[in-house]
Amino acid sequence: MTTQVPPVETATPGVETERKTYLNVTKGFMSWAGTLDHKRIGLMYLIGTSAALLAGGLFALLVRLHLWEPTGMLFDNAEYNQVFTLHGVFMVFLFVIPAIPAALGNMILPLQLGAIDVALPRLNLLSFYLWVTGAIFAILAIVAGGFDTGWTFYTPYSLYTQQAVGLIGMGVFILGFSSIFTGLNFIVTVHKLRAPGLTWFRMPLFIWALYATSILQVLATPVLGITVLLVAIERLYHIGIFDPRLGGDAVLFEHFFWFYSHPAVYIMVLPAFGIISELVTVHSRKPLFGYKLIAFSSLAIAIISFLVWGHHMFTSGQSTYAMFAFSFLTFFVAIPTAIKEFSWVATVWKGSIALNSPMLYTLAFLIIFAIGGLTGVILGALNVDIHLHDTYFVVAHFHYVMMGSIALAFFAGLHHWWPKMFGVMYNETHAKISCALIFIGFNATFIPQFIMGSRGMPRRYATYVPDYEPYHKASTIGAMVLGVGVAFMVYYLVVSLLQKKRAMENQWGGVTLEWETPTPPPLENFSKPPVVTNEVYDYSKLDLETTITPAK
Amino acid sequence: MSDAHDSHGDFGDLQMGTHHVSSALQFTSVLIALLFLTIITVAVAQFDFGGANMLIAMGIASVKAALVILFFMHVKYDTAINKIMFLSSFLFLSLLFIFTLADRATRQMDHRAHTIKTPVASEWVHPNTLNSDH
Amino acid sequence: MSHDDHHSVVIPAPGPEFKPHTVAHHFDTPVQEFQSAKLGFWLFLATEILLFGGLFAAYFYFHEQYPETFVVGGKQLDWRLGGLNTCVLLLSSWTMAMGVRAAQTSQKKKLLMYCGLTVLGAAIFMVIKFFEYKAKSDHGLFVFSEMLGGYDTATGQLPWFTDIHGVMAGVPHGHMFFAIYVTMTGIHGLHVIIGAGLIIWIMFGAAKGRFHAGYYLPVDLVGLYWHLVDLIWIFLFPLLYLVP
Repeated sequence: MTTQVPPVETATPGVETERKTYLNVTKGFMSWAGTLDHKRIGLMYLIGTSAALLAGGLFALLVRLHLWEPTGMLFDNAEYNQVFTLHGVFMVFLFVIPAIPAALGNMILPLQLGAIDVALPRLNLLSFYLWVTGAIFAILAIVAGGFDTGWTFYTPYSLYTQQAVGLIGMGVFILGFSSIFTGLNFIVTVHKLRAPGLTWFRMPLFIWALYATSILQVLATPVLGITVLLVAIERLYHIGIFDPRLGGDAVLFEHFFWFYSHPAVYIMVLPAFGIISELVTVHSRKPLFGYKLIAFSSLAIAIISFLVWGHHMFTSGQSTYAMFAFSFLTFFVAIPTAIKEFSWVATVWKGSIALNSPMLYTLAFLIIFAIGGLTGVILGALNVDIHLHDTYFVVAHFHYVMMGSIALAFFAGLHHWWPKMFGVMYNETHAKISCALIFIGFNATFIPQFIMGSRGMPRRYATYVPDYEPYHKASTIGAMVLGVGVAFMVYYLVVSLLQKKRAMENQWGGVTLEWETPTPPPLENFSKPPVVTNEVYDYSKLDLETTITPAK
Repeated sequence: MSDAHDSHGDFGDLQMGTHHVSSALQFTSVLIALLFLTIITVAVAQFDFGGANMLIAMGIASVKAALVILFFMHVKYDTAINKIMFLSSFLFLSLLFIFTLADRATRQMDHRAHTIKTPVASEWVHPNTLNSDH
Repeated sequence: MSHDDHHSVVIPAPGPEFKPHTVAHHFDTPVQEFQSAKLGFWLFLATEILLFGGLFAAYFYFHEQYPETFVVGGKQLDWRLGGLNTCVLLLSSWTMAMGVRAAQTSQKKKLLMYCGLTVLGAAIFMVIKFFEYKAKSDHGLFVFSEMLGGYDTATGQLPWFTDIHGVMAGVPHGHMFFAIYVTMTGIHGLHVIIGAGLIIWIMFGAAKGRFHAGYYLPVDLVGLYWHLVDLIWIFLFPLLYLVP
């Protein structure tokens, strides 16, 4: 325990006197299934996306186990193709894209804005059910024989494989609209429902990050929609647009796909940046260094991300001139990203650092993201990428961003807002052990992949030459440690809900609006509409009493 | 950026965007202009201006689109943020167009560069050109 | 929601034939509700622009690749019918704009009339479209009954593209133009049908007196959707019927 020692206090016996929170104000299945409350929808998203994370993680462990032996241990080649595709599709479309905005964002964004709810609550619920429908399509596709195209659905293979690509295509189309509606809702909410006095430059940076993310969700996702729709039409009717045998062009598919999927990388990572921005300041008890720079760099990243998608296609046969342009523009992404990284480090510097578990996850993020980001710059260089394309180097790079940065930021945010969401506190010692396991396991998994990738190990292969065996074995052991770490995290978080050890009203001493309402929040968030008079992250205004008052 | 305008205090926009009622005369004038431009579209298509054909056709269509957007869709009288949000979709769409079509248009140049520089290139067909001639 | 104690603003009805509107309780004012919904709808329209934009990008991409195919293909379409349909859609956009105006000025009968005329325009458009499709199907340029037929990967012969009169014989991949034509106009046609459905839904609400000067938000939004359908056709017409 580094900061506060919460008094061990069990639930009071008098249930009648229990304060009404969003969790217990109404009961029964329909009060959740038909809810318009952003916190309940966020919670349902949290459960759904976490389930997808665990499923996707299980597929990842199967892949790693299979690769223990050079000849493969568990599957034949076709099955292996399915398993890594399932890992990719579950993680990308069902977990990483919705997890932070739709689960944590839904929960926190209106609270931080001082609003009763998001601007369009029914659309919010619709978005959740679209997510559920998309997930059902994904499961149906597995039942109908699976799909083996990789999460990228590259044509012409995806047009001819005798598997359930049509079903998963529909699933992705529907998930796309779920994502669009969340983004649309957040943009409107930020514009129209900010509390009086909450000017743009008083908004917490999590909101700025979600706002930039939302722009990407709204403007990029429709192109994914039309792309998977065209693949579905192509499979049914053979119109020929993406089919080289019929005069079409597979490179056009890649253009469309990456026009979405490159910005989608930032749909995934920008909310993670937002969480980290929040957490470094709260747990360092120091205003953010470079607040405006971080805010604007989110928007800059959002815009630049639309200009660089061709760097995924350096070996696809696009024009050399296009490749020059894309490679050149790719380097520009590094500027706003580095601004963020430096600002976070500068925020921690000489802060009053509390090594709470969310902060440990945050520090792990700062290290891992530096590696993930810098290897991205390496891959953005045209000549280097030709050699590293489709090797484990690329796999390791994007896992440093997707798993090491985004999932870790998600865990950090989860630990940070867990007491706010449920009014209970998990076991901090367990949390720190789990964070260490995840950090060590993650690096042990992916550092060997950098090495073997740079030595030519291609991705997506079910077998490999024995020279790579030590790296694969190390990677598999790391993945197991990582798996144990995540499983342990799930365990103590669930235990915390059962033990009901009270969290503090303001567990970490945050000064953004979500801490100004009782913990956990009542149904409509604030008993009276908050008026913002402070500048953002002004810790001199913190009421220290709230950090030692147990939540009711 | 006027913050006071944008938050709860959008009341300043009460006149602009919220309840602007256009006159029937304006709508009818726009309709006549649109029908007239449709005739122009068909008329110019009867002549061949070479490479400018596409530009002319798209130019006229853009004028028509602008009329629909500004007047039928009331964008002219709408709030700044609504204008920005809708019009930015065209900006981002143009990015898709520019890069994708620039790739398509420069691939043939690519092919020539290969045939000149690589000695064995006469034997080799660049993958991008496989589709175009058969 | 049971929390009406918060505060609920009610916009009164301007006359006995109209109904008052209760502002959703998480909004402070009617203006805030109106602006929020409208901003959301503009963003939705932006997604529609990008969705169709993908199809337009595909059009330009293959127009660059197979210019002759597109020129010859375009000549197979009847520009008179396409032009007629353009005029029908432009007129229906005008009736829709007038319908929104009628709602803004609390003219219930006029609103119903203009909405009815707009739906009529949509119907005429789809009927003309149907006859166009049928003619192309009869000429083997895309045979609807054979669309699901798969194709012989060895010969590349498409069952849906038989080109009975051999009009596309001299150009490479003659089916590409018609593939793009059917996809674009098909997805556009789907939007016409959805739009007409929404306008009919508006008419039901209008008949009950829900829309008036104080509250006409749904009419406004459906109107915007309908204009977008028109907007897309404005580009489709010259690109497909008068291939430059």
